[in-house]
Amino acid sequence: MTSIGTGYDLSASTYSPDGRIFQVEYAGKAVENSGTVIGLRVKDGIVLAVEKLVHSKLLVPEANKRIQSIDRHIGMATAGLLADGRHLASRARDEAQNLRDRFKEPPTLKAITDRLSLYVQAYTLYSSVRPFGISSILGTVDKTGPVLYVVEPSGIFYGYHGAAIGKGRQIAKTELEKLKLADLTTREAVIEAARMYGVRSHISRLKFLLLTRIYLVHEDVKDKEFELEMSWIGPETQGRHLSVPKELKDEAEKKARESVEQFDD
Amino acid sequence: MDSSNIYKKSGFDFSNQIRNNFLAAKGVPVPKATSTGTTIVGCLFKDGIVLGADTRATAGEIIADKNCEKVVNPSCCGAGTAADTEFTTALISSNLELHSLSTGRKPRVVTAMTMLKQMLFQYQGHIGAALVLGGVDVTGPHLFTIHPHGSTDKLPYVTMGSGSLAAMAVFEAGWKAGMERQEAIDLVSAAISAGIFNDLGSGSNVDVCVITKERTDMLRNYIKPNERVTKERHYKFTRGTTAYQSENIRKYIVDESITYLTGSATTATTAEEAMDVS
Amino acid sequence: MNTVDMQQLKAGEVNLGTSIMAVQFDKGVVIGADSRTTTGSYIANRVTDKLTHVHDRVYCCRSGSAADTQAVADIVHYYLQMYSQQYGAPPSVHTAATLFEKLCYENKDQLLAGIIVAGWDREVGPSVYNIPVGGGLFRQPWAIGGSGSTYVYGYCDATYQEGWGKDETVNFVKNTLALAMSRDGSSGGVIRLAVITEDGVERLFIPGNELPRFWEGKEVLGQDMNKTFTHLAQMEIEA
Repeated sequence: MTSIGTGYDLSASTYSPDGRIFQVEYAGKAVENSGTVIGLRVKDGIVLAVEKLVHSKLLVPEANKRIQSIDRHIGMATAGLLADGRHLASRARDEAQNLRDRFKEPPTLKAITDRLSLYVQAYTLYSSVRPFGISSILGTVDKTGPVLYVVEPSGIFYGYHGAAIGKGRQIAKTELEKLKLADLTTREAVIEAARMYGVRSHISRLKFLLLTRIYLVHEDVKDKEFELEMSWIGPETQGRHLSVPKELKDEAEKKARESVEQFDD
Repeated sequence: MDSSNIYKKSGFDFSNQIRNNFLAAKGVPVPKATSTGTTIVGCLFKDGIVLGADTRATAGEIIADKNCEKVVNPSCCGAGTAADTEFTTALISSNLELHSLSTGRKPRVVTAMTMLKQMLFQYQGHIGAALVLGGVDVTGPHLFTIHPHGSTDKLPYVTMGSGSLAAMAVFEAGWKAGMERQEAIDLVSAAISAGIFNDLGSGSNVDVCVITKERTDMLRNYIKPNERVTKERHYKFTRGTTAYQSENIRKYIVDESITYLTGSATTATTAEEAMDVS
Repeated sequence: MNTVDMQQLKAGEVNLGTSIMAVQFDKGVVIGADSRTTTGSYIANRVTDKLTHVHDRVYCCRSGSAADTQAVADIVHYYLQMYSQQYGAPPSVHTAATLFEKLCYENKDQLLAGIIVAGWDREVGPSVYNIPVGGGLFRQPWAIGGSGSTYVYGYCDATYQEGWGKDETVNFVKNTLALAMSRDGSSGGVIRLAVITEDGVERLFIPGNELPRFWEGKEVLGQDMNKTFTHLAQMEIEA
């Protein structure tokens, strides 16, 4: 950051001499300071999970959702400025609704993300606006199958098998890489799950894995209280984007705590 | 029902519509529109397209022009409202030229056809242009009919206008694939002639236009089957036809002169009457 | 003198008094149409192609006003070209049908268009959608349309069966259209067919003198009559 303080970082419409737009990079910093958000794409489903740091004991647990629904079958989790996330979700819903009206069918996530990324990118062009201080993980099971995208503050977006953004993303990514997400078939997962936790669907098994990772990742900031929020899309939700049921979540969290304790031993 | 307001200063006046609806409700027949008579045709031959048209222009029952040009530009014949065919084809041919300039390619017949049909459809039939469009472009020869509402047909031989039935009968009997140039010209002139002789709305002469890849030949008044001949009799009476008993010739032309009151001109003379201005 | 009634000026334009049809089978769809276009009682085009391409594997059959249906099909054709560029994949038949339905419904006051959309796509394979005059979107295993269709609903109901292959389906469409064309004065000419499958679009053509023929009555005078009489006479003798 040699050019900092030379005036090139004051506007999104100004390049630095080495071709960077600092306002966009600062937006990236806003994302990095946020709680960890991860998303998993497996053979027949999607799971989104957010780690919410509890900054006040007066907050109602389970309220203040960070994962939002864009359409019946599309979920979105953001890391960064919460309000920006709300705004972008609203825009995504408009896009989804337009596509639904136009083609009379559930829109594909590709179509929405294509347009959403153009919207985000437009905020990197003008001096009168500030870029979005968020990265968004969008997930769906649409007619093309399970899909997972991450839209960055620059407007660029990539498709992933597993994605992690926010403070603990590095560790989360390493943990995600250990899983064979693409190969994780229902059958294999069922066998795995059966072996370890009795008969349970592979998504549940996955959620357990996920939780494990989140809890592992959270070790970095374990001095702070946190709450876990999770949603999923799969055969068990009939393709809808829903919060993970409480029983399942409690169970998974319990297993996760146990395994973290194992690590501690 | 609104009645017309004499204090209303601007805008359209629809009071006649109220009257017309009233009259229609009373059983007064709605006036009939007389469609413009024409015979226009086009046909495909070995090397291109031959277009043909009669040269009668009508306004109601009056023949407005006995030798008009319906081959509007060397690729398009117009039937229907004369002004509409002329201005639509002029506009499209202008736009086609601009299109050609901006794409750097020679215009295609389908392009002209698409532009015409889109414009005519936009105006929902209010532009009364019925066209035969033919030409040769990089993709080969093409022949279309375009109706006033914007529908198009692509055919090897086409006819339009009030004489189209007579002309089509000739084509149906005589057209064959891969005709020679002269055969096609003969067939087209026969078709137009059928229109001229059997359709009241068509008449006068046959215009033919031959379009090939290389060149376009405009054969204006290719056949003149209705040439005006010198009248065998006349209505003139020879001098002395009427007998008379006496002759009296009077002078009715009044001579006037001008009197200048000022200036250098001196008082002019008056022959019979002088104007008193004092 | 050719006169036009001013009150019907718009309606008196080029009409596709039509028989159109589309049928789904295991590997694709068969679409078909007669070839008659009329202006009043005059046949403006006796070899019309009412099977209109809107994308590689999606076609439509047009009935109603020629101008309206051509305009609508042109617009959908343009939309689908844009679609395949934007989304990098061919549109589904459903997508095409939806676009047709939107245009037909939203402009229902100004259009006279009854359209059948049919084709093949990677998502559901073959499919047929019916869009009647005024809008509405109905997926059907088979659909018939146009003025001639009213004469052959019974034939289709009685004949159609699931599980046909290409040849049986082609025959079904051919026979239905021939029957419709023989009863409907506004339909006629030739039969145009197209078979749309994953592999491509195959065009078939049946000239007017080779249409399937059905019972057309017996000659009243002449030899057949004698036969009838001898037959009757014999019956009398036997009795």
